[in-house]
Amino acid sequence: MRILFAGDEHPYSAFALKELIRLAMNTWADITILGVQAASASPGPVAPALNLALNRYRETFLNSWEGEDSPYALTNWQFEWYPVKEGLWEERLVCKSGRKDFRVHLRIGNPEAAILREAREEGCDLIVLGCASGGDCLWTGAPAVPQRVASDADCSVLLVKEEQPISRILACLDQTYISQESLEILNQMITIHKAQLEVIGVIPQGGVKKEVYTRLIEVGDYYHDRGIDISTRIAEVADLEASITTDGKQDLLALWMGKKSILSRFFPREWVGRLVARSQSSVLVMR
Amino acid sequence: MVQNKLKILILDDEPIVCKRLKPSLEKQGFEVDTFTRSFEALQAVEQTKYDIIITDLKMEGMDGMRFLQEAKKLHPDSEIIVITGFATMETAKESFKKGVFDFIAKPFNLSEIHRVVMRAEAKIRGTQA
Repeated sequence: MRILFAGDEHPYSAFALKELIRLAMNTWADITILGVQAASASPGPVAPALNLALNRYRETFLNSWEGEDSPYALTNWQFEWYPVKEGLWEERLVCKSGRKDFRVHLRIGNPEAAILREAREEGCDLIVLGCASGGDCLWTGAPAVPQRVASDADCSVLLVKEEQPISRILACLDQTYISQESLEILNQMITIHKAQLEVIGVIPQGGVKKEVYTRLIEVGDYYHDRGIDISTRIAEVADLEASITTDGKQDLLALWMGKKSILSRFFPREWVGRLVARSQSSVLVMR
Repeated sequence: MVQNKLKILILDDEPIVCKRLKPSLEKQGFEVDTFTRSFEALQAVEQTKYDIIITDLKMEGMDGMRFLQEAKKLHPDSEIIVITGFATMETAKESFKKGVFDFIAKPFNLSEIHRVVMRAEAKIRGTQA
């Protein structure tokens, strides 16, 4: 698994980093920490506040392991060629992590586009980013980034709203295709948080959809076969929206957003933004 | 000089994983056998020496940890790659204690598996940097 952590210098990113560390400790995923800023700082590429934050994230991440347990320990020294200016390269001694890949990247430009591009180019399975808690779900200085990343990413996205234990996962599905990758991401979250799983089949107002029942049964069987404690129910979209606004401070809201059948979905892309914004707790958008 | 094809065994109780990995590794030049039941996979290991074994952990019957122990007993120099949908710090540590080559949490993309398999191949062929 490869995880991309997209962070800025604000406190919500520090909360999200803790969730990243929890994920990394259990999955030993390859990790990229990405800083994004609108334009190059002068004289260096990174603005001082972001630079400090990235240094802090790197150190916090790497120091989270005790002794020799870390798969990310920087033990692999090697010479590599780096471009200095056009036509000139310099050989530098660099130290890389031993067992699993750990990198810190910086991209300059539109934050949302930069995060999505990084995830695509690196082949990430999950993007983790923080955002303001409560009903806003914003990034300071670039408010729409979390919701747009959640809506437009090709892979799953975990939006961490604040630091809190997760005791239950509310996973919502409609009639869309459910990928193997999304089932696996949810498995990992259930395992890491030792959380209960409730799967909710979401139907349009006043309507009943056979496909939703079919999906609900398929998903129920999948988790039941793997010994996971699961309960299932059906809810209308509007009821779901209302309930996530008021309930579940310790719930992780997980939304199945398949890559296919976007036009025929009950959760069109704008719904993702609404549910993400309304949720009181962290949100996992699964693809 | 043409090198012998390395033999890979894949064990995962989810047929979709085997179905996805087999053609992609065969395309990379490996000889691949797949199994969804650990006892059948162990029988195969008793009869054939696989250079690389890719195994899931959580399975009905004999689990992946026990399977990899038995496989290592039979062929200590087989390189074992663990893939798991239910990763924990303990299973990762235990896997490495038992001498696995790498530990990969699901979901993974094919390029990730290819990279790890190529590193295992380099180790087996003695061409590791």
